[in-house]
Formats: sequence, C-alpha cells, structure tokens
Amino acid sequence: MEYNQVVKEVNDIFVDVLDNEDIKLTDSTTATDIDEWDSLSHIQLVVAIEKHFKVKFNTAEIQSWKNVGEMCKAIANRAN
Amino acid sequence: MQQGDKFTHRFVVDDRVYNGFIEIFNDRNPLHTDAGWAQSKGFKGMVMHGNILNGFVSYFVGELLPMKNVIIHAQTINFSLPVYMGDEVEFNAEVAGYYESVNTYEFKFTFRNGEGKRVAKGTVQIGLLA
Repeated sequence: MEYNQVVKEVNDIFVDVLDNEDIKLTDSTTATDIDEWDSLSHIQLVVAIEKHFKVKFNTAEIQSWKNVGEMCKAIANRAN
Repeated sequence: MQQGDKFTHRFVVDDRVYNGFIEIFNDRNPLHTDAGWAQSKGFKGMVMHGNILNGFVSYFVGELLPMKNVIIHAQTINFSLPVYMGDEVEFNAEVAGYYESVNTYEFKFTFRNGEGKRVAKGTVQIGLLA
C-alpha cells in the first residue's frame, strides 16, 4: 500500500479514536505530542488500525516503533 | 479462547434487578416506573432500563469468561426492543477478534427475549491484564 495513503488513513483513525480534529500526524509524531494518546487509547488505536488495514501485528513489533513514521511504514509493508 | 468461541447465558430481569438498579442509580423516569405512562407511549408496561443489560455484560466479562485478569476497554450497545419486568433474556456472545499485539479480545453479543427476538446487540472489547 502506498505510504502517503497509509499516513492519511492512519491520521483519520487517530482523529476518530482520539476525538481530536486538530491531529496532524507526521513521521516524527509520538505519544508525547498528543495529549489524548495514553496507554488505553493506544490500545484502541492499534485495534482500529489492525481492523481498518486488515493486518495483524505482535507485541514486539509494536514496541519497536519509535514514532508514527515507523508504524506507517510497517502498515504500508503489510497491507494489501 | 479464540475467534469464533461462543458463550451463552440466561438472565432474568426480576424485581431484585429492577429495584436494585433504581436504588443505585435513581433513574425513576416514568417510562421505567409508571405503567400507565409507559402504556400511553405505546409500550405494554414499564420498560426496564436498557442499561440493566449492560450490567449483564459486566457479569459476562467478570464472571463467565475463563480468565479473571480482564478489564473492559470499550463497549457499545444498540437497543431494538423493550424488555419488561420478568422477561428472561438470552445472552449470546462470540469472540469476534483477538489482537495479540495489545492482548485484547473483542466480542459481539446479542440479547434475545423469550420470543427469540433480538432486544439488543453490541460489542465489548476487553484487555487481559499482565
């Protein structure tokens, strides 16, 4: 899947799950940049992303991502 | 527990449940407490509080699953038909998905009345505590 499209769709998921229309993800975005991105909403985000892109990740993969860019690259590589 | 696993249980909305709910949450809206008023709105009688069913979902998660290290992350419910005093409702839940990455299960569930008609459906997402 094309990377920029992944970023756009991930951004939409963040806006919906975190209920914050102002979110504008960049490759370097991390949880510290978004107030609503806490440990519980993180779970909601991951579940929503796995459902939306029809992909499955494991715990180690998720923990290896340092920022949104790494997450989106993983999704782009995995999603059809 | 894996995708497709099913759970079923029967609950009765009796005096104890109804009065306990009102005692705790103090929702005395006439739809729930005045049979004449409820009938004037087209119902057979007092409509039981929809959120009693959410209490049954809580019981399912806390007591019927094969593990105790559970916590509810999210829950949805849509009501389609009223439940009346004394109704027995059949609860059916199915594992709709497991998200290993965040150790989270999602269930779809329905409640059906004695006539087999669906009175509510929803989803509940639970995490497993480490």
